[in-house]
Amino acid sequence: MAKPFTTSVITAHDLVEGHAVFLGPEGWTRDIAASMVALTAEQAEEFTALAQRHVDGNTVVEPYLIEVSLDGGSPFPIARREQIRASGEPTIAFGRAA
Amino acid sequence: MYRYDEFDHRFVAERAAEFRDQVRRRLAGHLTEAEFKPLRLMNGLYLQLHAYMLRVAIPYGTLGSRQMRQLAMIAEKWDKGYGHFTTRQNIQFNWPKLKDVPDIIDALAEVEMHAIQTSGNCIRNTTSDPYSAVAADEVEDPRITAEVIRQWSSLHPEFTFLGRKFKIAVTGCEEDRTALLLHDIGIQVVRKDGETGYRVTVGGGMGRTPMIAKELRAFLPRADLLPYLEAALRVYNLHGRRDNKYKARIKILVHEIGIEAYAEQVEAEFAAMDRDAVAAPSEEIERIRAYFQPPELAERSASSPLIEQMKEASPEFAAWVAQNTFPHRVPGHVAATISLKPIGGAPGDATADQMRAMADIAETYSRDEMRVTHEQNIVLPHVAIEDLYKVWKALAAIGLDAPNKGLVTDIIACPGLDYCALATARSIPVAQRIAERFASTQRQKEIGPLQIKISGCINACGHHHVGHIGILGLDRAGIESYQITLGGDATETAALGERTGPGFGYDEVPEVIEKIIDTYIGLRDGDRESFIQTYRRVGMEPFKEVLYAAA
Amino acid sequence: MQLLDATGEIDDLWPEAGETLPDAGRILVPLERLEQALASPLEIGVHIPNDTDPKSLIPHFGRLAMISVDFPSFADGRGFSIGRCLRGEGFVGRLRATGPVISDQFTYLMQCGFDEIALPDAVASRQPLEDWLSQPELVTLGYQRGRQGRGSILDQRRNHA
Repeated sequence: MAKPFTTSVITAHDLVEGHAVFLGPEGWTRDIAASMVALTAEQAEEFTALAQRHVDGNTVVEPYLIEVSLDGGSPFPIARREQIRASGEPTIAFGRAA
Repeated sequence: MYRYDEFDHRFVAERAAEFRDQVRRRLAGHLTEAEFKPLRLMNGLYLQLHAYMLRVAIPYGTLGSRQMRQLAMIAEKWDKGYGHFTTRQNIQFNWPKLKDVPDIIDALAEVEMHAIQTSGNCIRNTTSDPYSAVAADEVEDPRITAEVIRQWSSLHPEFTFLGRKFKIAVTGCEEDRTALLLHDIGIQVVRKDGETGYRVTVGGGMGRTPMIAKELRAFLPRADLLPYLEAALRVYNLHGRRDNKYKARIKILVHEIGIEAYAEQVEAEFAAMDRDAVAAPSEEIERIRAYFQPPELAERSASSPLIEQMKEASPEFAAWVAQNTFPHRVPGHVAATISLKPIGGAPGDATADQMRAMADIAETYSRDEMRVTHEQNIVLPHVAIEDLYKVWKALAAIGLDAPNKGLVTDIIACPGLDYCALATARSIPVAQRIAERFASTQRQKEIGPLQIKISGCINACGHHHVGHIGILGLDRAGIESYQITLGGDATETAALGERTGPGFGYDEVPEVIEKIIDTYIGLRDGDRESFIQTYRRVGMEPFKEVLYAAA
Repeated sequence: MQLLDATGEIDDLWPEAGETLPDAGRILVPLERLEQALASPLEIGVHIPNDTDPKSLIPHFGRLAMISVDFPSFADGRGFSIGRCLRGEGFVGRLRATGPVISDQFTYLMQCGFDEIALPDAVASRQPLEDWLSQPELVTLGYQRGRQGRGSILDQRRNHA
């Protein structure tokens, strides 16, 4: 039995800068809240195909879908890993060893 | 220290230009990401959770002040002002941009450094003993051999697309500080009947299938080193598994066909090959040896009244001297460890300011030299006892005076889920919370020698398998869960830790570690019996009881 | 397929064998048909998968004018050791690397004893010939004593001293 579809957004890394980006209505954005949400498996497939075209065009790399919750009004990752990644920073103070 | 000659310079310069060209071709679309990835990896460039990450090689962990200052410059100019020293004696920058990396590589080449083969399926940075040219029982400075291997393995045409990564460590002492038996190949300089040669081990490693290396050759004459390594690598390259990346390390080949069969194939290859075409001629070894002449340190009195006085005046200083110094073969000197494990810090991290300050200290007090240790600390190898107070003061000024070398808060931790694309759980904040719980210098001293090692995934970059207490962070249905192992050992008496049982939640870990340590304190046979000794004597049961019985 | 060597694009002189072998000339056969080809008077090239034990070809060196080593992917580097091994055992014929290798491997292949590279069209069309031909200028030095007359850095140091 197929797993029921969970709302998702598509993410990748910017080829030149390396940071995490999310696919929004006007292209890739660093702000997950501004990303397009796939509500169905079909939409997710469409987004994936679109992302692949951007990969072929050498703007982003390593795209994949992440599951999001919409409870807060805008997409927020469910997995801890994706929460940390979407925040753009580690969970710890960095650059300060003392 | 080794210095590049014109050929080394040209080699690294060409490599920098080549990488610049590869980046150009990637951006122009000549190379796909799939094709570019192994090329960037071979230049130490990963794509991590938040950004690219550049891993720079510090060959055998030896670093001069000029180089450390350049690393600080790179951290400031192209990164976020800090770097992370790793368990394989490298440094990682966490935030470079792809377009800047060719410039960073050029800046490294200026100070005779590079990022070649710090990643990818090739022969990685050859690591060595941080107490090289310090330890009294050293047969020979292992960095001579490590440098010979560094050159031989650099862009080796045959071994740059191996089935998996390949790690070599070299030590010159019986007492091992390189995790030798956890390396694909371990080389120990030994002397037999007056002849210097090598004991060679093979097939050690951590990861999801940890294994302790086995002896491949009890004595290899010096002249045979490179041909023998070439034969060992060729057998691996031809016969190692390629069907499953988790079974592609040499340890699996050695395990599956047996050490005898593997050794037989290596010896056959070795016997058949044109050894003279591969071997480093003795004049080359002598040329390299000249760079590793120990500094001329004047013998001094082993005790300094001034230092004794300062120790009495400052218990913090006394604790630091007691814990963070190692006897030097030249009387009146020590090797001093700069702990990159301040309580609450990220293990192995140093800011640009701290790097520059360490460079200044090394320049003034340690013959311009530093060593990176696999415990993610920095060693000042040649410090006069007379100068220790000044060194300590300078370190205290930059917050790097933690007197905790080898103690419970001297924790190895991988970057974990805060940085790493492969991680399944966080490591650094776990290390920080444990360190905070045991912050008291007095308490740490009472507990005694204890190594905690934390990995944020099964790949074991945090060496958890060989921690006296190992912590492995996993993902259990979206929740971080931490397995505990006890009894691991990374030294010449290498052992893999044993799992205590089911894992614990993120918030429970400090409490669990405290229970384990309290249990040890309760069981130990006098305060000189270390954690690992007690564990070996009493076994797992008492610890298990305390951890799980109440539940 | 595009065939190239250090001089640029070259003609393929080795037609692949059809169902029956011709009476004369050159022929490229897969390893499983080597026996059949050996029984003919043809000039023989053989294509071997990269899990072949290179030493198993030693008895046939006298009859083999060309060996083509399969590179199923650029990341599978077994072929480099096969090349080194064949040359080390005394093979003096033509050595070809066949598969989707990349221009960055050109120098490595040459140093391991290969003469020519047979690239699938899709790879060849993405990687311009200049990318290949500029490689020897990008990488002129190595610490290992390779083939094709390149002395190692160790040799150069010795000559220098």
